[in-house]
Amino acid sequence: MASVSIKNVWKYYGETAAVKDLNLEVLNGEFLCVLGPSGCGKSSSLRMLAGLEHISSGDIHFGDRRVNDLPPKERDIAMVFENYALYPHKTVFDNIGNALKLRKVDPNTIQQKVERAAEMLEIKHLLQRKPMELSGGQKQRVAIGRAIVREPELFLFDEPIAHLDAKLRAHMRGELKILQRKLGTTMVYVTHDQMEALSMADRVAVMHEGVLQQYGTPQEIYHKPVNAWVAGFVGEPPMNFLDCELVQENDAIQLKHSTFSVSLLPEQASIINSAKLERKVQLAIRPDEIHINGKQSAESIKAEVKITEPLGGDMLVDTTVGKEKVLVKTKPDFTASMGEECFLSFDKQRWHVFSSETGLAFF
Amino acid sequence: MASSDIVQYKTPARKAVDILVGVFLTIYLIWTLLTFVMMFVSSFKDLLEAFKLPEIGDWLGVTLFFDFTPTFRHYENLFLDKNFGKYMMNSIISAGGSALISVVLGSMCAYALSRTEFRGKKDLLFWIISTRMAPVVAVMVPLYAIFRNFELVGTLPGLILAYTTFNLPFAIWILKGFFDNVPYSIEEAQMCDGANRFEAFVSILPLVAPGIGAFLILCVLFGWNDFLFASIIGSGGAKTLPVATVELVQPQNIQWGKIMAAGVVTTVPMMFLGLLVRRYLVTGLTMGAVRE
Repeated sequence: MASVSIKNVWKYYGETAAVKDLNLEVLNGEFLCVLGPSGCGKSSSLRMLAGLEHISSGDIHFGDRRVNDLPPKERDIAMVFENYALYPHKTVFDNIGNALKLRKVDPNTIQQKVERAAEMLEIKHLLQRKPMELSGGQKQRVAIGRAIVREPELFLFDEPIAHLDAKLRAHMRGELKILQRKLGTTMVYVTHDQMEALSMADRVAVMHEGVLQQYGTPQEIYHKPVNAWVAGFVGEPPMNFLDCELVQENDAIQLKHSTFSVSLLPEQASIINSAKLERKVQLAIRPDEIHINGKQSAESIKAEVKITEPLGGDMLVDTTVGKEKVLVKTKPDFTASMGEECFLSFDKQRWHVFSSETGLAFF
Repeated sequence: MASSDIVQYKTPARKAVDILVGVFLTIYLIWTLLTFVMMFVSSFKDLLEAFKLPEIGDWLGVTLFFDFTPTFRHYENLFLDKNFGKYMMNSIISAGGSALISVVLGSMCAYALSRTEFRGKKDLLFWIISTRMAPVVAVMVPLYAIFRNFELVGTLPGLILAYTTFNLPFAIWILKGFFDNVPYSIEEAQMCDGANRFEAFVSILPLVAPGIGAFLILCVLFGWNDFLFASIIGSGGAKTLPVATVELVQPQNIQWGKIMAAGVVTTVPMMFLGLLVRRYLVTGLTMGAVRE
């Protein structure tokens, strides 16, 4: 087991920078998820950790070992690939035992270790089959088995469950987390699925266009996004953004939208005061932190219902405020028809204000 | 999985086409097989029996072809007097050796070209295949001059080298297609598992085995059937079966029986090889074309 430290790492493909000045510290035994849309540099980062890509500049250390110039076989890592990358001509047993065989471990030990891994992953009955005869979920388990049988210092997972169906994916999320806790091995897990990142990781690193946006616990990422991009990327359904202006009125600071005006809480106003008072901002609030009501109340905002989407336990309501779309998540007992008037009130403790210019969060 | 059969309905036109196809195939089969049958049968006949021909229009005379006392004289003659055992060995060594070298070097080169990107890669690939574009005859004279300088004329290594010159570019091109179809992540997984680059390369060879097998056969066939190189570069010390066969044609005496026997000796091994690897040849030549 090892801690991982990534210092000022850049990755260039020709002229284009895929990873820009990445700095990350992963503690020993920690489960790190690297989250980002496709093309954000997360896979490149993982492949640099594995040694499958050269590091253009910067340093990567495993513990106190600098690994920049080590080939994959000397890094003591195990990687699970998005497409599983099983050896199609070998049986499940040989697939799992391959790494041990390459390390010239004696056959009895291989037998023992493979069987133990297979038992843990519940694929013991499949050991004599070929990958072609397995389902997606089974292949995925074999790929994980191949990784864990090694007992490496570091696990690298590259979107391993992206190709499974939704139900199996949810199941595997739990299993992977349990597995990582059981083994206690440091794990770096790359995904574009925020559900995976938030549900499994000890810490999440959000990347966008090669730049690390935010690095923190899932709670921090979700509740305290550092900029508008993270706020918009994390969360399902996505956050609502409304273009507003900050206006000083008497003691209070008001958020002034083209159709409404609401006041900030005093502690929020003090943050704005201490920061430079910027006029153009974005008000951001999650759909489940908006209350929708048929009747007007204090500081509620008039909106128009466009469509309702019942989701079983929840109800999504598409509304428009002025010309902007606002999505609200509410209880399924809410009923409204198209074009009907409704009133929204925001949970002020939970809303966010971002600078329109820089995208950075005030709170 | 959906059935891969093409759905067809029997219309009168379709039936007519079916019959025409059947007739064509029958004629084609007779046309191709008859030569082999003639060769095979004639190789067991005396000269007199071999030239017993029925009258034109006498269809029952066909039985004349099979009215003979089989003799192994020609075969005995070939192998005991004419040294055909040695020529056969030469054929096997030159064709097999060149095929082996082409496939070993070709697969390594194809792997490298498949897995790396560099400036001028397309030009390099074109240059490799362009060596196959000139007709063999065109390069024969310079090649002969070069080979003579290196004292390779009339030697088996010379012949192997000559065949390899022509097989290798082809091997690189065909095998590159096979390597391109193997996902890179399989080797990456191997390398993460603790293999070095060469071990990773070796580990994916089973996945391109059909391609390698099929290509091995094509190379063997090229060498085995070659006459031009064998007669010019191999002449003297490295005589192969086709060249030795031609030498049975002498100005005053064309030894038909031996020629037929030599034809059989030349053909049969390749036929068996073809049967043996037919499965590979078919899957091999079509596999590279489509993704899973």
